[in-house]
Amino acid sequence: MSSPELTTTEGRAGDGRLAEALRKVASSMVAILTTLFGLLLLTFIIGRMIPADPVISILGDNFDQAAYDRVYRELGLDRPVPEQFLTYVQNILHLDFGQSNVTRNPVAADLARVFPATLELAVLAIFIGTLLGVPLGIASAVRRGTWVDHLGRVVGLLGYSTPIFWLGTMVILIFYARLGWIPGGGRIDLYNDGLVEGPTGMLILDALMAREWEVLRSALHHIAAPALLLGYAAMAYLSRMSRSFMLEQLNQEYILTARAKGLGQRPIVWKHAFRNIRVQLLTVVTLAFCGLLDGAVLIETVFGWPGLGQYLTAALFYADMNAVLGSVLLIGLISILINLLTDVVYRFVDPRTR
Amino acid sequence: MDRRQFLGGVALGAFAAAMPGSAALAATPQDQLVIAVNMGSMRGLDPHEANQIESAEILANLYDRLVYFEPDALDAPKPQLAESWTVSEDGRTFTFTIREGVTFHSGNPLTAEDAAWSLARLVKLGLAPAIDLRQWGYEESNVETLIRATDERTLVLETPEAWSPGLILASLASSACSIVDRAFLADKEQNGDLGRAHLQAADAGSGPFSLRTWRANDVMMADAYADYWNGAPAMRRVIMRHMPESSVQRLQLETGDLDVATRLSSTDLDVFEKAGTIDIQKVQGFGFYYVALNQKDEILSSPQVREAFRYLIDYDGLASTVMRYYGIKSQTVIPNGLPGFLDEMPYSLDIEKAKALLAEAGYPDGFSKTLYIGPGTPYFEFAQSLQANAARAGIKLDLQMGDYLSRFRERKFDIFMGRSGERLPDPHSILQSYATNADNSDDAPLSGLMAWRSAWDVPRELQDLVMAGARETDPSRRAEIYTKVNALYLEASPALITSFERFDVKAVSKRVSGYVGHPTWLTRWDGVAKS
Repeated sequence: MSSPELTTTEGRAGDGRLAEALRKVASSMVAILTTLFGLLLLTFIIGRMIPADPVISILGDNFDQAAYDRVYRELGLDRPVPEQFLTYVQNILHLDFGQSNVTRNPVAADLARVFPATLELAVLAIFIGTLLGVPLGIASAVRRGTWVDHLGRVVGLLGYSTPIFWLGTMVILIFYARLGWIPGGGRIDLYNDGLVEGPTGMLILDALMAREWEVLRSALHHIAAPALLLGYAAMAYLSRMSRSFMLEQLNQEYILTARAKGLGQRPIVWKHAFRNIRVQLLTVVTLAFCGLLDGAVLIETVFGWPGLGQYLTAALFYADMNAVLGSVLLIGLISILINLLTDVVYRFVDPRTR
Repeated sequence: MDRRQFLGGVALGAFAAAMPGSAALAATPQDQLVIAVNMGSMRGLDPHEANQIESAEILANLYDRLVYFEPDALDAPKPQLAESWTVSEDGRTFTFTIREGVTFHSGNPLTAEDAAWSLARLVKLGLAPAIDLRQWGYEESNVETLIRATDERTLVLETPEAWSPGLILASLASSACSIVDRAFLADKEQNGDLGRAHLQAADAGSGPFSLRTWRANDVMMADAYADYWNGAPAMRRVIMRHMPESSVQRLQLETGDLDVATRLSSTDLDVFEKAGTIDIQKVQGFGFYYVALNQKDEILSSPQVREAFRYLIDYDGLASTVMRYYGIKSQTVIPNGLPGFLDEMPYSLDIEKAKALLAEAGYPDGFSKTLYIGPGTPYFEFAQSLQANAARAGIKLDLQMGDYLSRFRERKFDIFMGRSGERLPDPHSILQSYATNADNSDDAPLSGLMAWRSAWDVPRELQDLVMAGARETDPSRRAEIYTKVNALYLEASPALITSFERFDVKAVSKRVSGYVGHPTWLTRWDGVAKS
C-alpha cells in the first residue's frame, strides 16, 4: 500500500524541481534581457554624446548643405533622440540591426562575416593557450624553485608584459619580411579567396567540409602566426593563474595528509589538487576567451585580420552607430552565453553547485 | 601507434604543411596589380554617391565618363564615351556624339539614353557628388529637359545659365558623372532608389575593369573587361587591399607582395626615396593646407591679426621636414598648372613682424585661442610648429586634436587647421569655396563653402571676379581674371591662410609601368604593365 504514496511524493518532488528549473530559466532570461537592454541604452547614449558627426563621415571631403540635410534626414537624426532609440529597439526586436554607414551593408550581414573570423582565431588561440599554459603552470607549481619553474615564469612574464602589437610587428618583421615563412596578413591567399564560402564562415572548418585542401592549407598558413601569438598571450596568463591556484592547493593540509599516507606525486597532483582547481581554471579560461573575442583588435590590425575587433574599431572611428550597437550587442550576448555555459559546466565539475 | 601519438602526428603534420616551404616571398603575378589603401573612409561604390579619394580610383576603372583628362594635361578634355562634341556659340549647348559599339559589363549596349539617365540620376539623388552638376543650376525639375538623348548616339546638354564651357567639361570628367547601365539598374531598383542600394557593392559600368569581389574594409578585386571598347587591359586582375598601417604596406612593398602603396608615412617614404628602390610619385591634389581664423571672433577678425598669422608659419622649416611628402609651399589660392597660378611667396617666418602687427592691432601682449586640428600626421607636427612660433609672439594656442570638421562646419571654433581637395581641375572649384560667400549670416545654407565656415565676409570685388571667371567663355581672358583673383586674394589678408599645396604620395614598385597617379583621383589601371 505504500508504493502509490511513494510515487505521489516523487511526482510532487519532480513537479517542484521542474517549477524550480523553470523559475531559474525565467529569472535568467529576465536578467539577460535587462543586461542587453542596459547595454544598448548605455551605448546609444554614449554614441550621441561623442562629438563625431556620422553625416560628415558618410559624405566625405566636400559637400553642400543640401546633401548634408538629405543624409541627416536619411539617418533619422532629425527626430528626437528618445524616438530614435525607441525605433532602434523596435527594429532590433524585428531582428533588423540597421545598415552600417561605413560598409553600407546590413549590420547583421557584416557581423555574420566578421564574427566567424574572430571566433576562429579566438578558439584556436584559447586551445593553444590552455593546452600549453595549464600544464606549464602546474609543472611550475609542482617543481617550484627548479629550472622548470623559472622557465615557466620567464615565459609567462614575457607574454604578460610585452605589448602584443609589438610582438606581432616583430613576428611579421622576422618571419614574414626576413624569412618568408608566414604570409603578410589576411585570412587567405588572394588566389584562394572566394573558393570556399560558408556555411560557418570559419575558413578552416568550411575548407575541411568542402574538402578544399589548398584552401585549408592557405587558411592554416595565415592563421598560424596570429593564433600562436594570441595563444601565447593566453598561455602566459593561464600559466600564471594555474601556477598560483596549484601552489595554494599544494599547501593545503589534505595534500599533506595524502603525502603522509604515502601517495605518489602523480595522484596527489592530478587526482587531488587538480580536481580542486578545475572550477577556478574554468573561470579564468572563460575570462580569457571572452577577452580574446573583443580584445584581439591589435593583432587583427597588425595581421590584417578582418574580424570583429577591426570592424568595431572602424565603426567607432567613423561614428557608425548601428555597427557599434550591433557589435556591442553581439559581444554582450556571446559573453552572457559563455557565462551560462560555464555555469552548466560548473555543475558537472563542482558537486557543491548541484 | 597509440591515440596520443596519432593525434600529435596529425597536429604536427598540419602545422608543417602550413608553415615554411609554401613560399610567402613570391612576388605578385605578372598579370595582376596589387594596391594597398586605407579603405576606412570608403563608403560603398555608387559613383553618384561616393566622395572619397580611394573610391574614386575604383570608380575611375569600373566606369567611363563622356570625357577625361590625361593626368598631365588638365586643360584639354579628351574623348572617352563621347567620341566628339560641339559647343554652341553662346557656350550653353553641348552636343555629344556617343561612341558606337560600347557595351556595359552586363552586355547591354551603351547609348545616349544611358548617359542622359546617369546625369539625371546624379542630380536626383542629390548626394555629395551631385554638386558637380547642381552648382551649374541643374535641379531635379530641369535636368531631364536640359540633358537629353535626341537619338541613340546623340546627347544634348544645355546649361541652365551661361558658364565657361571648360568648367562644364571638367564636371563631366569627374567620377560623379560616371555613366551607369540604365536597363541593368531598372531591375535592381528598390522603393524608387534608382538602384542605389544595389550599387553599394556592385558595378553597373562599362569601364576597363569589372567588379569581382567587394568586401568593405577588406578587399576589392576587379577583373579585366575583355570587351572594353579601347581593348582589353594588360592586367588580368587588380586587387586593392585594406592596409591602414604604413609599416605593413612598406614591408609588403619590400617583399614584393604589393605593387602600389598609398598611405606611407614620411619616415617610410624617406627610406624608399634614399634607397631608390621604389618610385615615389607626388600627385597634385587640387587643394591646400589651410589655417582658418573664425571671423566671428573679435580678435581674429582684425586684418592685422590675420596678417600676423601669416608670419607665424615656418614655411621653409616645414617644407624640408614634415611637409616634404604632403605638400609644396604655396601662399596663393590657385594650384600650379591651372590658369591664374602665381609663383609668389611674400611671406616667411618673422616673429618680430608678427609682434609689430599684433601691437598695431591693439594686442601687444598677445591673446589665447584654441586651435582645432585633424588627427595624425602632418596636422599635428604642423600645429605644434605654429603653436611654438605663436608663443614667441605672445599668442597662446591650445591644441585640440580630433574629428573637429563639424565644429568648422558649424562655425564653432577659434582657429581650425585642415586640408582641402577638389574633384574638378579648374580654379573655380577652389575659388568658389575659398573666396565666395554670398550670405554671411549664420543660417545661410552655405556650409559647403570654407569662406562661409570661417565667417569671412569676402570683399565684394573678389567675389564678383570669381563669378566673372566662371562665366567667361574665352580661355585667355579667363586666365587673366584668375591671375587678378589670385593677386587680390593674396592682398586681402584672407581668413583662410594657405601655406602648402596638397600632394598625395604613391609608392610604386619598379616592376610596374603606366600606373600614373591622377590629380583628380581618377587613376586608371588599363595602361598598367609589369615587367
